[in-house]
Amino acid sequence: MSKTEKVVPLEEGRARSRTSAKERELLERIQVAEHELGRAREKAERAAREGLLVTLARLLQAGSSGLTWESLARLSRAAYFAWHSEEVDEFGFDRRFAETLRPVFEFLYAVWWRVEVTGVENVPAEGPGLIVTNHSGVLPWDGIMVKLAVRHEHPAKRECRMLALDMFALLPFLAPALAKSGEVRANPENGERLLRQGNLVGVFPEGVKGVGKHFRNRYRLARFGRGGFVRLALRTGAPIIPCAVVGAEEIHPVMAKANWVGKPLGLPYFPITPTFPLLGPLGVVPFPTKWSIDFADPVPMAEHGPEGANDPILVNRLSEEIRSTIQHLINGRLVRRRSVWFG
Amino acid sequence: MGRIAITGTSSFLGLRLLRRLVEARGPDAVVAIDVAAPPATLHGARRRLLDFTDPVSDQRLLEVFREEEVDTVVHMAFFTNPRRDSAHAHELESIGTLHLLAAAAAAGVAHFVLRSFTAVYGARGQNPNFLGEDRPLNVDSGLAWLRDKLEAEQHTASFARRYQSLKITVLRFAPLFGPGVRTFYTRIFDNRVVPVVMGYDPLIQLLHPDDALEALLLALEKAPAGAFNVVPRGTTTILTALHLADKIPVPVPHPLGYLGADLLWSAGIGEAPGGFLDYARFLFVADGEKARRELGFTARHSSREALLRYLQYRYPEGRRQPLEAPA
Repeated sequence: MSKTEKVVPLEEGRARSRTSAKERELLERIQVAEHELGRAREKAERAAREGLLVTLARLLQAGSSGLTWESLARLSRAAYFAWHSEEVDEFGFDRRFAETLRPVFEFLYAVWWRVEVTGVENVPAEGPGLIVTNHSGVLPWDGIMVKLAVRHEHPAKRECRMLALDMFALLPFLAPALAKSGEVRANPENGERLLRQGNLVGVFPEGVKGVGKHFRNRYRLARFGRGGFVRLALRTGAPIIPCAVVGAEEIHPVMAKANWVGKPLGLPYFPITPTFPLLGPLGVVPFPTKWSIDFADPVPMAEHGPEGANDPILVNRLSEEIRSTIQHLINGRLVRRRSVWFG
Repeated sequence: MGRIAITGTSSFLGLRLLRRLVEARGPDAVVAIDVAAPPATLHGARRRLLDFTDPVSDQRLLEVFREEEVDTVVHMAFFTNPRRDSAHAHELESIGTLHLLAAAAAAGVAHFVLRSFTAVYGARGQNPNFLGEDRPLNVDSGLAWLRDKLEAEQHTASFARRYQSLKITVLRFAPLFGPGVRTFYTRIFDNRVVPVVMGYDPLIQLLHPDDALEALLLALEKAPAGAFNVVPRGTTTILTALHLADKIPVPVPHPLGYLGADLLWSAGIGEAPGGFLDYARFLFVADGEKARRELGFTARHSSREALLRYLQYRYPEGRRQPLEAPA
């Protein structure tokens, strides 16, 4: 191919650019129209879709002749979307999934553990806030209960996003369930993003040390990590609301830990409680203790400025302050508590 | 203004970019560089047949760049699917990029655009939900397909450090999904029954090819230096995507999955080695904030829309429609 063939006369080039501007505008309009058409088609499709029961009824009605891959796929789809929504938020929160599980949690909240809440007015009605809580009870039930407490007792009915420990956020089954119910894997990037968006965020600085605590160490707060939560609050200027959960330590009293069992399964610890693994799956049922959740006065962080996050002495001081506030709240509760079961 | 050279014009995105640029700037402004000629509909376009695995391809490229007065290079000569002859893929992708960069630097090219993948961040349980551009790239050493892409990025970064005059834009695209896309991961949607990893359902990003093209054009226009994630609006999950496509997912425990996938791959049946199961277990969602701020790029399609457009293209007859016509 010779190069001279390729030379395009100037006039033609100019004409081309004019038509191409017009063409581009037309193309853009076509694209927009296609986009709209797609949306309309989707909407019609969604309206025509049948629920789980209707799909199941149709399958049964059709009998053995109706048993095709196609009908099975439709059934599996209807079964899935009966409790999952088609769209999730950027962290994977699925509203319908959360609503499906909510009755179970509400039963635990109101009947099983009879949660008593004080000081919920300390949670800001709007804007970012970091709820810092003690962690206990082998499974992260306390996180779910704090979340429910904020939603049910707070006048603004705020949705709190919990930062879940790595060990939970990486376990099969639990990991997608946590993400879909609005929990986010705990790391500084995720926490900062949530707070900058003005969310209420819950953290458990004790981490694994807290949730897998031995029964004899109950209500003795473990070290608060390395103050990551304080740095998070300082960087974003979000106030910290200390919160104490009492009652969760006794739901699965850890008598011993068989870590040699847990290690090959990818668990950081393998708890032995009076019912687990003795009673098998029944051992996962938590004891019906009486719970209380107390929120303390918010600790403002904005006054230290974002550069405070680089001052390890300040970070550690604030971290210790918050830890002792929570320990105080817990001790006060424990003194007043007469029974583990009835409060 | 010099010409734009596009490498890998036989690739899906490369051909589309070539067509778009020929339409917008005329056939004289673009040079297609590939082992195969572009389709006959683009007969007017300048083309140079060239093989990057040729040991002296850098000299030939330098000649091409000088003769054609190239001042911008868009490098898209990458394999879409994992290859069994990984040695050849390595020569083409890693060493080929090195040759191309050397030729571009020697010819005094002003702007170099590299097509990359968000998968080079690696799918890890420890990843934050949104990966920024400064996140270290971390590819599983067993995945030759991604390792070569990672090496191409590393060569590019080292050239960016050594040649200040060469402005390098790296575009890390989320997995493409949409009309016309045929890759190893879209082929998952060819079967009715699809194996999935039991107990995992990570968020995924699916990028519509129109959005990818838009980002490429913006990168050519603004010529920013640095890496940019090109991602769709929003995410979806693997199970949601499969159910939207009317598939029947069958959960397989992951140790069994890795083993089975590797066996199928070495038997010549599977589409990809087992290491790719990481991408069905863990997150590799990238943050598109930097591209929005500096490139002015926002995707028009969400991940879900990209998927639905793909399904409309793949099943025009509407395999997803209910069997009984509404009365």
